Amino acid sequence: MRNPFQEFQTVSFKKKNLPLSRIVRAKQDVMAHILEGYLNLVEAEAKDFVWLVEQSRVLKTYSEAVKYVQSLNYDQDDIEEFCGELDGSTKVPYVIEGPAGIYVSALVNQLSDDRVVLRLKDYQKKFHLLGYRLPVGKTLILQGDIGDFTGTGLAGGCLVVEGSAGNWCGAGMMQGEIRVAGTAGWKTGEWMKAGEIHVEGWIRGVGQNILGGRIYEQGKLVSPQHRGSQ
Amino acid sequence: MAMDDILKDIWDRVRKRHLFPELPSPKYGQGEPRVGLDIKGKQISISREFVEQMSLKLDQDDIVEGLLDHAVSHYLYCPWDLATHLKLYAEAKNVLKDKQMAQIATDYFMDIVADTHCVGQFDTPLTNLYRRLNKGRLDEVVHAVLQRIWGVDLGVVGHTDISRKLSRLPYLDRKYWTESIRRFAGAIQSFLENETKQGGEANSPNPMGRHTPGQYSSQEIEEGLMQLANEAATPDEFKEIVRDFETEILDATRLGEEAMGVGPGHSLDADILYYMKLAENYFIPIRKKPMQASGSLYPHHHIPWEIGHPYQDVDPWTSFGKFMPPITQTWQRREGEVFGREEGVPDCVLIIDSSGSMTNPRQELSYAVLGAACACDAYLRNDARVAIYNFSDVDAGGRKILPYSDNRRDIYRAICHYFGGGTRLRVENIETLQCDGMPDIFLITDMQITNLQLLIQYFNDCENRVTAVHVGDNKHVREFRRAMDLNPNVGIYAVEEKSDIPRIVLGKIRDFFY
Repeated sequence: MRNPFQEFQTVSFKKKNLPLSRIVRAKQDVMAHILEGYLNLVEAEAKDFVWLVEQSRVLKTYSEAVKYVQSLNYDQDDIEEFCGELDGSTKVPYVIEGPAGIYVSALVNQLSDDRVVLRLKDYQKKFHLLGYRLPVGKTLILQGDIGDFTGTGLAGGCLVVEGSAGNWCGAGMMQGEIRVAGTAGWKTGEWMKAGEIHVEGWIRGVGQNILGGRIYEQGKLVSPQHRGSQ
Repeated sequence: MAMDDILKDIWDRVRKRHLFPELPSPKYGQGEPRVGLDIKGKQISISREFVEQMSLKLDQDDIVEGLLDHAVSHYLYCPWDLATHLKLYAEAKNVLKDKQMAQIATDYFMDIVADTHCVGQFDTPLTNLYRRLNKGRLDEVVHAVLQRIWGVDLGVVGHTDISRKLSRLPYLDRKYWTESIRRFAGAIQSFLENETKQGGEANSPNPMGRHTPGQYSSQEIEEGLMQLANEAATPDEFKEIVRDFETEILDATRLGEEAMGVGPGHSLDADILYYMKLAENYFIPIRKKPMQASGSLYPHHHIPWEIGHPYQDVDPWTSFGKFMPPITQTWQRREGEVFGREEGVPDCVLIIDSSGSMTNPRQELSYAVLGAACACDAYLRNDARVAIYNFSDVDAGGRKILPYSDNRRDIYRAICHYFGGGTRLRVENIETLQCDGMPDIFLITDMQITNLQLLIQYFNDCENRVTAVHVGDNKHVREFRRAMDLNPNVGIYAVEEKSDIPRIVLGKIRDFFY
């Protein structure tokens, strides 16, 4: 007699292990560590309830961030992805703008690559304090509009903004170059000591206290000549 | 072996491997030599020219099997359905801001996902096929990614940065697809822009074929649009996607299908389609009512038969088998007190307020229009007709009247019309829509009607069943509620959000039992 269930034999099935799963798993591990570092930083900063952009405060936060970041093994894609997590992920329970920007800057500055490109134009959030203390020999290209305090304390690196920058762009920069393809906001170059800021669009307002360096608006030098006229 | 026999043999093998998907047998079609596949209405067509040309480099069996594996993976894994397809497209379009580029990016993304799933699950000749395909510049990028994530040599050199970036995406994790395609589209944007400058897809079409809504059955398209309408935050979100695929959707659903809101000579009105599809997600119940008395006679009680009485009413069971007065019993008939027809649904007069205080349905989701649409659908489903009285400031010409109709498209066009002026109605207009059989009245408004008292008076005087729905809450609503408190014919409901709509019961009459 014919077995009516003979068609229903067990099908041998061997699932292959594609490199994709390994790559994704490794990436998730790295991201988990980056997030952990950020949350630790925010936890430490959140104790004071209010986070003000003060030089001592920024310095302290940055050195804390560097401590977390130094032990991590990541690449620039991880940084971009971390920005995506800050923008709208549930993995980040709270975002404090200042420490977030400083943490991203620390990640960029500690990376071995000389040229880092971050595509930020697809994100809703505007990131502040990017390019903080960008060191000599490093180029950071930011694609999209960005927030305030871009390139603050720039330490010799080259910061390219393929979009517009907010207020206090290049504030307190020590050396290096900032190139903004769009416009820049108020207090551009406030307290800058050296270096150059080139803004292809218009500048809403140049800083009142500029100690050195040059600022160009649409190719024309606006500081030092116009210093104090704003 | 002839090509058709090869196809048949291989299809049996592929079907078994994929656990017998519900797909019709594939066939050969006359396609472009550079594109291997075309899917229309779930029918897979393999380009004979493509196979012939590729067979110079690869065994014919492998080509056909690889193409079929690819097509079936799309059906079974990604995109799976039209709603997912459109959602992925919408994400890509958000990033790329261009229809053609978004379509190409979506196609490539879905190819990577479907083929990675297939390669990860089965022994498939897809890798051989990919290795020997003619590659455009964008194909090279995608194949470089596949090379990396599959761990096989597909003969691509270079593109290290982009392939490293794209190989990080969790392609096989469905819950991250929308996020992944955003990043995928962003990463290949510069390549897409170059391609577009050099003539776009026409120069180097995706050899694995394009994906359009045409590949789905009309039922899948209906369901996909319904889901899309439900998930879209605003009508604009829905409209933007639907407009991009207008031709394909019209072709796929065939002109003249009423349900899709299309007809001969009409284009796809995305606003109307949005509310049509959204309304299909909600079902509002209707209380039926007796429609008319029959007046027919029915056997009521027995009386003794007398000579001269008709024979046909004699009841042999109570007459002991005798035919003799007064032993023989006959039925005495009485006029029935029951109603002749069973309960039914009357026609409906739908009164909708489209004054300035109401939401413009073409800009934002209007709960008034959605509620009205759901009510219309409920009556139409029950074979009743609907008349529309859409009003704003009637004295200033702000009114639109649609006589009784069962044409869903016309009805939707009337309810989606937005005046945006003052709010004043005329009960005479409503009165002209009264007809035999006493229609139900459905009113949806925010009650900020300057002559609300007249309407209250009218509802108190008429005997129609009235379902009044108010959007929002204000003193006029409270006044209306107070005035209608004792009128059992009027059911009042509040709609604050979408989830309130299914709570409406049409034609509900208080303290009235059937």
